[in-house]
Amino acid sequence: MSTCKSAARISTAVRPSSLLPRIQTRHESTTRRHKKLLTVQQAPSYTPTRPEPTLIFNPPSSAPSAYHTPLKFLPQNDKRRALYASFLSTSTQRAHRTATSPVAAPGTPLSASSFLPPTPSAHLPPPVRQPYEKKYHLTDVDIKEIQRLRAEDPDRWTRVRLAEKFGCSQFFVGMVAKNGVKAEKVAREHDRARGRWGEMRREARHERERRKELWGRDA
Amino acid sequence: MPSPHPYEALQSTKLSALRARLSLPQRFPLQTLARTLIHPSADPDPAFNNASLSVLGANLLGYYTAEHLLCNYPRLPMEVVFAAQNAYVGPRALAIIASEWGIEAAAEPGGEVEPGLLQFKRLRPGEGIPAALKKQVPWKWNVTQTHRIVATDEFGSPNAPPSPHSLASVPVPMEEAAQSFVRALVGSLHLHLGAPLVKRFFKSHFLSRHLDLSEMFDFRTPTRDLSRLCAREGFEAPVARLISETGRLSRHPVFVVGIYSGKDKLGEGAGSSLEEARFRAAAAALKAWYLYKPLDVTVPSSTEGELDTTKWKPNMVDCGEVIV
Repeated sequence: MSTCKSAARISTAVRPSSLLPRIQTRHESTTRRHKKLLTVQQAPSYTPTRPEPTLIFNPPSSAPSAYHTPLKFLPQNDKRRALYASFLSTSTQRAHRTATSPVAAPGTPLSASSFLPPTPSAHLPPPVRQPYEKKYHLTDVDIKEIQRLRAEDPDRWTRVRLAEKFGCSQFFVGMVAKNGVKAEKVAREHDRARGRWGEMRREARHERERRKELWGRDA
Repeated sequence: MPSPHPYEALQSTKLSALRARLSLPQRFPLQTLARTLIHPSADPDPAFNNASLSVLGANLLGYYTAEHLLCNYPRLPMEVVFAAQNAYVGPRALAIIASEWGIEAAAEPGGEVEPGLLQFKRLRPGEGIPAALKKQVPWKWNVTQTHRIVATDEFGSPNAPPSPHSLASVPVPMEEAAQSFVRALVGSLHLHLGAPLVKRFFKSHFLSRHLDLSEMFDFRTPTRDLSRLCAREGFEAPVARLISETGRLSRHPVFVVGIYSGKDKLGEGAGSSLEEARFRAAAAALKAWYLYKPLDVTVPSSTEGELDTTKWKPNMVDCGEVIV
């Protein structure tokens, strides 16, 4: 189909005469994109500044070793506490003393230093979930009320609704007001839904569970 | 004669070669080396088989491994200690070590057999496991952690293993015979050459085998365990923080999450979802806690038989693993 169309276009092409001169232009789509843009400038940390041999320390990014004990986990009488503290102070001083090259200015990919530990700063990364304080605000009366509502109409007063009403977690509702009959009913419904799964979905869910087990084994 | 005469050991080239291969000194007698190769299933006479030597060797191996693990990694959970013991000096590991040393088994035990071969009565295919191997002593209904520590073997099995003396004339698998040889060899080295040489032998043949303890953990609820640990030790509650991420809306996102307690980073993990990265980071933090290694460690056996006790430094004893 498309070949026919293009053939027709070629045969009937009557080019309008343009007043502009025909000049060959080279766009980024050709040599510049394929060759020149791909030649990345060498990182300044690799460029030797002195003629004599120098040592380059730039380890690849990798997961930290499990055998490294963080400062907080060291016992009080461990010598490494003092060593870490002195190293931290000297590295901070050195970081403040050394000027950053414009290529490695903040905001560029080279800004993260490859030296360990990174420059200490007061700013912590953003939390994955907002941390919250536990309130411990429910009294015995409230708990009795939760139990009464849950026993009265478990279909209306679900764990979610009770948690919203009393401002606690669903886990807490399940802990104080367990409803075995309702739980069995829900489990049966879930089983029925699982029975309707096809082979692909069932295997995919099974694989997902297996992968999740490997999280705790670091595999 | 159920086993070769001790006199024949002196003529055996296999035994001399084995002694040289293991770098044992000439004063270690070949007759004893021949005796360590005779399993009680081949020769029921306790004066000629390796039963008593293997009991001694098993105790020595268990002791040296346990003190190495407990002094170097005082915070290890008990399950991991058991698994590590099994990996260092368990029956399978000992059988592998024996085969690496080039031990070959005789097809059938007897007095005319070359004394450099491992002799035991073979378990024929199709035969069930004999009752002596299945014996369960001491036996309890509820197998608790305490029971596994004090009442059974060093690998935390629910039941005690069969005693070597009870295996007289009982057909056994190859693994059982090979492990009894390695144990008996360690026991006889202790009797003939003394403890310092056995310790060096243990270090070069058993502890030198690579074992990555950080891969022996299996956490099911690391986030909960970690917050429990921080509460127990009086640290600030752990908070998961997103250190870096790439391709959040793509098919293969990578999130790097760190677990922080206050301003200190406890662990770091990467995963393809925020939940996975958080889970792995918590597991890494727990590993960092459990795999703590003190700087200067003196194992208790290093002061054996020494009058000068000033070199001894008490080892760290941890209050135990996290129980949720």
